[in-house]
Amino acid sequence: MTALGAPAPAAQAGASSAGHLVVTGTSKRFGAAVVLEDLSLSVAKGEFVSLLGPSGCGKTTLLRCIAGLLRPDAGRITVAGQDITALPAHRRNVGVVFQNYALFPHLTVAENIGFGLRAQGVSRAEAAPRVAEALALVRMGEHADKPVTSLSGGQQQRVAVARALVVRPSLLLLDEPFSALDRKLRETMQVELKHLLREVGITAIFVTHDQEEALVVSDRIAVMNSGRIEQLADPATLYGRPVSLYVLDFVGQSTRLAGRIVAVEDGVVTVETSLGPVRAPGRFAPGSRVAVAVRPEAVTLGEGVAGANRVSARVSEISFLGSRTQLHLDLPAEGEDRGVVELPRLPEGVQPGSRVTLAFREADTMVFPA
Amino acid sequence: MSATLAAPAAALPPLRRRLDPMALLALPGVAFLSVVFLLPLLLLLWSSIRGEGGFTVNGYVRVLGDAYYIGVIGNSLQLGLITTAGAFILGYPAAFALARARGYAQVVLFALVFLPLTVSIIVKSFGWGIVLRRDGILNWLMLNVGLIERPVRMIFTEGALYAGMINVFLPFMVLPIYSVVRMIDPRYGDAAATLGASPWYRFTRVTLPLTLPGVVAGASLVFSLAVAAYVTPSLLMGDRYMTMSMVMAKAFLNLRDWQLGGAMAAVLLAVAAMVVVGASLMQRRLARHGGAA
Ligand SMILES: Nc1ncnc2c1ncn2[C@@H]1O[C@H](COP(=O)(O)OP(=O)(O)O)[C@@H](O)[C@H]1O
Ligand SMILES: [Mg+2]
Repeated sequence: MTALGAPAPAAQAGASSAGHLVVTGTSKRFGAAVVLEDLSLSVAKGEFVSLLGPSGCGKTTLLRCIAGLLRPDAGRITVAGQDITALPAHRRNVGVVFQNYALFPHLTVAENIGFGLRAQGVSRAEAAPRVAEALALVRMGEHADKPVTSLSGGQQQRVAVARALVVRPSLLLLDEPFSALDRKLRETMQVELKHLLREVGITAIFVTHDQEEALVVSDRIAVMNSGRIEQLADPATLYGRPVSLYVLDFVGQSTRLAGRIVAVEDGVVTVETSLGPVRAPGRFAPGSRVAVAVRPEAVTLGEGVAGANRVSARVSEISFLGSRTQLHLDLPAEGEDRGVVELPRLPEGVQPGSRVTLAFREADTMVFPA
Repeated sequence: MSATLAAPAAALPPLRRRLDPMALLALPGVAFLSVVFLLPLLLLLWSSIRGEGGFTVNGYVRVLGDAYYIGVIGNSLQLGLITTAGAFILGYPAAFALARARGYAQVVLFALVFLPLTVSIIVKSFGWGIVLRRDGILNWLMLNVGLIERPVRMIFTEGALYAGMINVFLPFMVLPIYSVVRMIDPRYGDAAATLGASPWYRFTRVTLPLTLPGVVAGASLVFSLAVAAYVTPSLLMGDRYMTMSMVMAKAFLNLRDWQLGGAMAAVLLAVAAMVVVGASLMQRRLARHGGAA
């Protein structure tokens, strides 16, 4: 709460005006393993950013560095213009909701929530109404005096969030806050938590390895790949304009063909693939090995619009997903190529084994270095 | 940990319940203890209340009404308390080091704590003799360094006795605390830190309460062992420092005074029983509070 109002020293004000949280050139290694590599990140005040990446890519390590639970080997971290790199965790005022919550098992719900206030020297009498307010905020009022060990997963998550929020942190970090919940509950809690944090007006960073979750809860998503941020963008940009094959694969489905550039003209390249030539906007030297990709919903069955890319392939599998249907294609170059097409409804006569023609616009086709 | 954590407080065993078939598993142990422990104990207690003309409390009057024997009981209690306190002060941080160490460091620490258990007390006391004698290693060292001008008496002092007792009983303090610390999620401390708790606040409000069950177990174990100690005080102090067990041994072996020995045994048993019952009541309270991790 103090860091919120702390005036930024003049020398740092300029550098940090870009964001509420600014991580600059942060590196962390454990022995020989480089877990964070010269990582930079800027988060605006009130913004929700997700750190998305596979298990082991360094998400928790980055979170622990921001919270002050780990000391990075290099780099600088500022919050609201104040350099906190050298501060211990208990002086940072950065809240954390831990994976599996780490609620104190020897305390009741209310005692857990009041812990931070008491630790910061707030008197019992002053703490009580704030604890009650926090309990009400997460709708746990009637559970105040229960031991936390008797709560369900969803209730434990609410207590963990209230415990972190009640001390009014300048920033909230959440490490896979939904991973302990079952699927149905997870979807409700995602929306509920996003709404709650919005209401409080806090800046938050979510860690997740689940791309759908990242799309639901965040304004922007940072896709992490072995200790680096591969792309930081809003969900639509991430999905529509991924900067690499890694991001393309991590966020959403795609049909993907490996190939080689055979012609270059006016910012449009022609790629020779196992299913024939495909044109796409891009700048590559002739002869480069690349991969072309297109999102499932950009593909139509049949001839498509004039000038569209057309390839034909055999359907190997059909998955009915309710609101849409997925066609899995049999592609010659197993491994390098991947074929998934999504259609609002399955056309008459298409079944496993049918040959289909796929059309997709040149502008919707993406090219990546292989 | 999760099993203990998940157990709701209300699930503590009710006082009256049907016999759990699992209780039958205790039968061999109970039978064994009945023959080798309970029976001799009852005979002993019986001898403490038997006099010339049948039943008598004379043994207890002799023990509890005599300043010398009261002094002996005081000695034993003091020895028990100091040993327990010393073992706690040394053992508590050691248990943490043991629980948090990894790889070779953990193997070495384990060896340091438990190897002393495998060395006979007789061997140890000779070792202490060599170190603590007037012409022993410690005096030689301090003389040469210039710390002292003439040799100091260390062997047969109370200081040496406490050091020896703590050495012997330390593992019984470390092991229960270690087993509790090992189960504590280090993220409790992390969570407390991110909530603004200073290291000291974290220790007193999170770490200590969570490790208290181990401390209670270790302390009651060490205290009951130390209060009944016989070998270590006899070897390190001889007749100069009489404990309850030493009086009992003397009564049974030298004086053939079963009444005195039996009464002293009953007093020792009462002290030990109070500690054990007190500790388990405390454990129950802690468990109810969810303190058991
Ligand atoms: N304290 C540590 N000591 C050694 N290696 C660690 C430590 N913490 C994390 N690592 C390693 O760093 C890598 C990244 O871990 P982490 O940040 O937890 O990944 P994520 O949260 O993305 O799954 C992993 O390979 C992990 O084994
Ligand atoms: Mg993680």
